[in-house]
Amino acid sequence: MTGTLEGASLEVLRDRATRARRLVVDMAAQPTGCHLGGSLSVLDILVAAFDRADADDGTEVVLSKGHAAAALYAALYVSGRLAENPAPLYGLAGHHYTGHPSPAVPGVRFPTGSLGHGVPYAAGWAMAQRLSGGSGLGIAVTGDGELQEGLVWEACQVAAARRLGNLVVVVDRNGGQNDGLVADISPLPDLDARFAAFGFEVSEVDGHDLGALRSALGGAVGDRPRAVIAHTVKGKGVPPVEGKPGAHYVTIDATRAAKWKRMIR
Amino acid sequence: MEAHDQVTALSGRDAYRSELTELARHDPRVLCFEADLGGRKHPFAQEHPDRFFNLGIAEATMIDMAAGLASAGYRPFVSTFAPFATLRAAESMKLSMGYLGAGVVVVAPYAGVSGAWFGTTHHCLEDLAVVQSFPGITIAAPYGEQETRAVVRAAAAGSGPFYVRTGRNAAAVSLPGSDEPAGVNWAAPGSSEVCLVSVGEVGTALALEAHAQRPELGHAHLCFVDHASLTAAAEELRSSRYSRFVVVEEHRPTGGVASTLALLMPAVEVVGVNAGMAWPSEGGDHGEVLGQLGLDLAHVLAAV
Repeated sequence: MTGTLEGASLEVLRDRATRARRLVVDMAAQPTGCHLGGSLSVLDILVAAFDRADADDGTEVVLSKGHAAAALYAALYVSGRLAENPAPLYGLAGHHYTGHPSPAVPGVRFPTGSLGHGVPYAAGWAMAQRLSGGSGLGIAVTGDGELQEGLVWEACQVAAARRLGNLVVVVDRNGGQNDGLVADISPLPDLDARFAAFGFEVSEVDGHDLGALRSALGGAVGDRPRAVIAHTVKGKGVPPVEGKPGAHYVTIDATRAAKWKRMIR
Repeated sequence: MEAHDQVTALSGRDAYRSELTELARHDPRVLCFEADLGGRKHPFAQEHPDRFFNLGIAEATMIDMAAGLASAGYRPFVSTFAPFATLRAAESMKLSMGYLGAGVVVVAPYAGVSGAWFGTTHHCLEDLAVVQSFPGITIAAPYGEQETRAVVRAAAAGSGPFYVRTGRNAAAVSLPGSDEPAGVNWAAPGSSEVCLVSVGEVGTALALEAHAQRPELGHAHLCFVDHASLTAAAEELRSSRYSRFVVVEEHRPTGGVASTLALLMPAVEVVGVNAGMAWPSEGGDHGEVLGQLGLDLAHVLAAV
């Protein structure tokens, strides 16, 4: 379906998401473990975003919450953007599949992990598209805890001032962060109103509904940047960790990984 | 220093703006960004309004966005005062320009204490130390209009990241040979064993004054002062006839050019004349603030 905005069928996307979730669990079973909870929450967003980028119109996807690198590598692989299976190589010496992504990995353009930078990277990309007459989007995928970083809002301010309607900020609203719940640490009430006050068009979707995510990433490009608040569940798809803030970083053994992978549907 | 100023020369930041405006006529990749410190009559904005962007007071965003644009094939030049570029936006310089290697050019006026009476927040005696520690960024500290223009041309022609430090309004005619400022510019031969090594606007002006009083001193001028350039320069300095080098720079001793050269040339003596470790907190003009910090002709002459 390359070259159109229609993308792959929802059935294909669901299959990608399922396979990618199993790969993420495999990465949690590497000696290093991985940021499991946030990787599973953002995974459907990434699958939908790469499907949008398959339109081959210059759209760039930037995972700003770089600690979900396991999800990024898995999504790149199941989307056909990465040739090798990253799971057995995750965290190992001699390979670039580090805990936060670098441009040494095929399909990754910007280094992220220090939170906030992905939004201005995507904004710069969107601006380049506009200057060159392209129709591509700059899609930044952030965490909700990440929104505590000032750089995010600095970049949103600039994007709105420059009327970058082809910038889309997708928030993985899983409600968790490293040390606990966003609501307990530094809450973000009225998040939709915050983005709206910055001049963004705001939509809210179920962040695990691939059809809704596809719709949110499609549509006409106006002159206001877009925020998509994607309501997600940390650890989504793996019952033992689903909805558990403590699943932010997880290391498991191969036996448990095999058991968890069988639970993924 | 005033003796070397010429009314016909442009300041470093004005030379940058003028040269970039000319370059953009023939290079559509060139974009010009400011973070609200470019002035109301920026020549680039007047001639190329569709490629000039005042992003507002948002330095880190400016550098990261420029990285996004550079990744898409543009050649963005971004400018803000040195303290804001290299300290407030240090992580963006590290990740976007150093690690990613995005082809962003940062042009930073107000380096050193050229902000004078503006005070401590607007001074930057740490930029070379910070940026030198990010591998892959070419660092230039040009002296005078011609050398600044040459650096801007080199940056526009290149593809990698650049950091260019300038002062505020001081204007000077560059040294002979500044049109192609690579390597060591042997500005003046000396008969003694001592060679002045000048860096940047103030360092070079002071070295010229010192040489005028002590013509037996050699004078080597360095424009490019990133670690790779200094490694090459050290090779050339080391093979010269001099055995003692007095490095004059408007920077702290830590992480400056003298400290790097001392490590690169352990067999010869390297002495630094710099702005020391005190905080510049008094008013005055540029020269007066430098005097408060001990960076003046008397200290240069005492060091040789």
